[in-house]
Amino acid sequence: MLRVATDIGGTFTDLVYVTPDGTVNTAKSNTTSGEFEQGVMDVIEASDISPEDFVSFVHGTTIVINAITERKGAKTGLITTEGFRDILEIGRGNRPDFFNLEYEKPKPFVPRYLRRELKERINYKGQVTTPLDLTELPAILDDFRKEGVEAVAICLINSYANPKHEEKILEKIQELWPEVSVVASHQITREWREYERTNTAVLSGYVQPIAHRYLDRLTTRLSEAGMNCTPYIMQSNCGIDTVKSARQIPITMIESGPASGIWGAAALGNLVGEPEIIAIDIGGTTAKCSLITKGEIKLNTDYKVERSDISAGYPAMVPVVDLVEIGNGGGSIAWIDDYQRMHVGPQSAGAEPGPVSYGLGGTEPTHTDAFLALGVINPNYFCGETRTADMEAVDKAMSKLAEKLQVSEQEAAHGIVRLATNNMVNAIKLISVNRGYDPRDFTLMAFGGGGGLNAYALARELNIKKIIIPKESSVFSAWGMLLSDLRRDYLLTQIVDMKEENSELITSSWKKLEKEAVEQYEEEKIDRSRVSFSRLARCRYQNQEHTVEIALPEGDIKAADIKAICDRFHDHYEREYTYRLEAPVELVCYHLIATAEIDKLNPEKHSKTGIKIEDTVKGKREVDFVEQGIHEADIYDGNIFEPGMNLQGPAIIEESGTTIIVPPNFVCKVDDYGNYRLNLIEEGE
Amino acid sequence: MTNQQYDPITSNIIQNSIQAAADEMFAAFRHTAMSAIIYEVLDMGVGITDKNGELASSGAGIPAFAGLLDKSVFCILNKFNKPDDIKPGDIFITNDPYHGGVTHLNDVVLAMPIFLNGEIIAWSANMAHYNDVGGAVPGSMSNEATEIYQEGFILSAIKLFSEGEPIRSVFDILTSNCRMPDFLTGDLWAGIASLRVGESRILEICNKYGKEVFLHAIEEYLDYAEQVSLDAMKELPNGVYKLEEEQDNGQTYKVTVEITDDEFIIDLTENPDQDSGPFNSSRDGTLTICQLAFKGVTSPDKMSNSGTFRPLKVKTRPGSVFDPTFPAAQAIYYELTVRLSDLIVRCIAEQLPKRLPAGNFSSVCGTLFGGIHPDTGRPYVVIEPEIGGWGGSARSDGNSGQFSMMHGETYNCPAEVAEARYGVTVDYLSFHDEDGGAGKYKGGKGVRIDYRIRSDNAWMTISYTRSKFPPWPLEGGCEGSPNYILIVRSDGSTEKYSVISGLTLNTDDIMRIMTGTGAGWGDPLERDLDKLKDDVKNEYVTLEQANKYYDYENRLKKEG
Repeated sequence: MLRVATDIGGTFTDLVYVTPDGTVNTAKSNTTSGEFEQGVMDVIEASDISPEDFVSFVHGTTIVINAITERKGAKTGLITTEGFRDILEIGRGNRPDFFNLEYEKPKPFVPRYLRRELKERINYKGQVTTPLDLTELPAILDDFRKEGVEAVAICLINSYANPKHEEKILEKIQELWPEVSVVASHQITREWREYERTNTAVLSGYVQPIAHRYLDRLTTRLSEAGMNCTPYIMQSNCGIDTVKSARQIPITMIESGPASGIWGAAALGNLVGEPEIIAIDIGGTTAKCSLITKGEIKLNTDYKVERSDISAGYPAMVPVVDLVEIGNGGGSIAWIDDYQRMHVGPQSAGAEPGPVSYGLGGTEPTHTDAFLALGVINPNYFCGETRTADMEAVDKAMSKLAEKLQVSEQEAAHGIVRLATNNMVNAIKLISVNRGYDPRDFTLMAFGGGGGLNAYALARELNIKKIIIPKESSVFSAWGMLLSDLRRDYLLTQIVDMKEENSELITSSWKKLEKEAVEQYEEEKIDRSRVSFSRLARCRYQNQEHTVEIALPEGDIKAADIKAICDRFHDHYEREYTYRLEAPVELVCYHLIATAEIDKLNPEKHSKTGIKIEDTVKGKREVDFVEQGIHEADIYDGNIFEPGMNLQGPAIIEESGTTIIVPPNFVCKVDDYGNYRLNLIEEGE
Repeated sequence: MTNQQYDPITSNIIQNSIQAAADEMFAAFRHTAMSAIIYEVLDMGVGITDKNGELASSGAGIPAFAGLLDKSVFCILNKFNKPDDIKPGDIFITNDPYHGGVTHLNDVVLAMPIFLNGEIIAWSANMAHYNDVGGAVPGSMSNEATEIYQEGFILSAIKLFSEGEPIRSVFDILTSNCRMPDFLTGDLWAGIASLRVGESRILEICNKYGKEVFLHAIEEYLDYAEQVSLDAMKELPNGVYKLEEEQDNGQTYKVTVEITDDEFIIDLTENPDQDSGPFNSSRDGTLTICQLAFKGVTSPDKMSNSGTFRPLKVKTRPGSVFDPTFPAAQAIYYELTVRLSDLIVRCIAEQLPKRLPAGNFSSVCGTLFGGIHPDTGRPYVVIEPEIGGWGGSARSDGNSGQFSMMHGETYNCPAEVAEARYGVTVDYLSFHDEDGGAGKYKGGKGVRIDYRIRSDNAWMTISYTRSKFPPWPLEGGCEGSPNYILIVRSDGSTEKYSVISGLTLNTDDIMRIMTGTGAGWGDPLERDLDKLKDDVKNEYVTLEQANKYYDYENRLKKEG
């Protein structure tokens, strides 16, 4: 009776399983590129568990994002409305690298000769103005066959308002060429903006054959190995979904990895009574942060692949958890530019050669090396005792850096930590203060391998008083998957004035979406009674563009409700943007979340043996807390901590996957679920 | 103060934080603005200056706006130069290009002093294009204006807020002199929200590190930016570069660029007398564009502040198109400055063709049209720049369908949004096949956009350049194609324009916008044959064009 989650990353495939008594176990094995399912089978074998005992199995994978960034997807053709062949190549005409006269515009995923047009037209109100003419379609498909096309994407102008023509083309292609992968934009989203929707359909088509092959092989291998439960796939919207649904629109898996961690943070926050959370996942290469309010995550649909300061990137109009990602993690390299200025990241030492301390040939000091140099990380308990840190190499690298900067080695190490902290603080501000939220009202939940190392400095900079470091925080993301529900997000752009006379129209649009959701779930034998809805309306002042998402009540929206809805909009708007207007309010987009409960993990409180905190002390050592000075710190063995234990900083807690810093002005308490709860000692206490 | 207190890491962190503050101000403005030209075209910029107005960091949708706000703050400081003239909570507004407004009256600057313990330590400022600021025509920009009074209300660095309180009368004056008061109000409040973000971030930094450390970090930041520019200039051979170029309007523009070890001098004194119409650019506006061109040819990375431009000297002649005297009109300054940026880049590119790309469509192609939305009955006004082709370079083909050099994070309006918002129909939005841009490395494709008008008595005003003289090639490449607009009337008759004001359009008339294809770099006959096959397969080059410019089929035969 095991609940199992597996997560394929760039280097490792992780597995977490929970036994009926609530014990969490983990395993790792190498990711097997090209045959990713093999890595999953390997890691199951390595954990010594049998698929026959699985009662639930959730899977997260980076194959979708990898296929895109490595350009390893299928040859894809595009069918679009006559007159719009080059939408995909034009994009939006923007140039983020705006002084550069030789900016490189992102190259479209479908070359021009595979972008073909059909005569048809629907207007923005959804009325057909030119009927669909399918005469050319067979010849287009013949050309596609000849060119070796494996996937076809369809996106027509205004299909968000009426998908009828896209449906007909889809049907015809399936009839004329049943073997080909095909996807139409309306199957993914009903939001407006033709470039974004076209690119989304194209990316989904591009990864579809790979995702199909992968998911089919994985499910076959698992059932051959005796697994009886239904496998679920982690999605970018923090929910999980059935294999059937993930097969249909694989693009929704694009950020499944980060999403599970953020979801885990929301779920854990709710479990321990902390619904206001700033979550930060600090890994080897990047840090990702997201804001959780009232226990709920926030989604966006303006995600872009490969967007950077020098590239416009590729939009994917799918619901992705609202997060900011920066190139700062344990492996981030410290370097000095031509002007004697130090930077940390975004280049990372990765797993090979890894930080200098791995002793595998790395020479540029990393964030992790700085923590070793400061005595924070124990060189003899490095990477959970799997390695001994090469301190000689670390010293050498640090003194080289210090020399270049003309500062002491200690200052150089401080510099790395302070710069990385500053980068992360700026990222957190983007998701909090920038949207009208004060970080002081939140609890910081930090996880990933570097969560426990960085949390206190982030909290200090942001004046946050409470920190949670989850137990087993290095595999927290995989654990988060086990707590997810089935979730599907439906988005529909339809502009309606928020007026009493439109309440019926608004109600009927919600009902239509809800019906669609129920039908799709029922098709997969998921009963109506398990499905619940929440409605979010994207509203704006008339003529504005950017919207604010507000929750709407269930059931019929009555004329009398409109005023309350508008009031709620004004309040939200003012909180986020500091002012309100007298202008009329418009509803622009319906966002329906349809969740279905499955039998998910219910975390158990940890048991106690009565061991005393003194018995967990491993010793003392001198630790440099950077801005809080050097202190003789108690060193604890976190692996044997039990609920109810208390300690006061300055201290270091060593756990097999991570190190947790408890600075001098903090106390740490272990909660019922084994999590580390750090609280600032208020002055005068 | 010891050096220890000015440790390099702290300065570095403060500088990062000032840049982050500008990014936040930018995001706040964008999210709350009412007008598409701000939130979508991103015709706006934000910045933090030091207490003297020197720009410390900026965020902009448009590179031309990155180095603009210092000029406004200088002007405010000049005017309010008595003790207590400026109080905490004051917010200033200016749009007068003769008094710190820099560009044209539509571009409204807001600036707010940041006080710490009763002393100004920095300024938070932004500017944006407001849809309508009154004047003779809707949208305020008329090709026919002869003095600035006809281009809208003039705000010569005045207070909008006094000690934290909005000055009601000023708001009332603004809204009653504007055709779209709701938009104006919404955009103003968005701008104010953005200023406040800047203020609170800067105060946080000062409170954490102390005023002295903060001021020192800014100073060091400016020095650093200057050093980056000076180092980049080492890559450019010293010398005097000259260029004369005939313009669509029959005038000739002249530029001399002198590069020394530590100076980059742009001399514009020998240019025509100021225009009797609105084709003038203020001295400050000219300076801003010279900064943009300087940055593009030296160090095109994103970082810039006042230090970046210390090596740059610009000479202009009062009474000329690049330094007009009051009350010359200036609404269409942007077509003049896009010409100027192109002129400076061309001047250097012709001497250093391996370093810089060939000419692009190089026009804002500012397109204004409006009328009554056929479905909602509400009036609509569209003000948009257009996308076109960029030139080939020694390294690659030019980009297709990009905004001009004046733009950056500017987004075009999706057809689906335009149809709903304006009630027009977009019949076509893709590349065109006009001749132009052949070369070893091709110019990028220009674009054709067809807007079909759906109600009577709509109007259109445009002002495109590079319509008579197409984009300039390098190293034996071919010229690009011109920018123009074709009106296809509902009866099938056509009219062609590049500059026109207030043209009447009726139901089912089509505005066919045709933007230029960029110029080619290098001899077309040297284009790699595989690339050429690809061009033909993709129909970037028609078979006829392939034979005409590239001798395609003969070359194929030779290859066998």
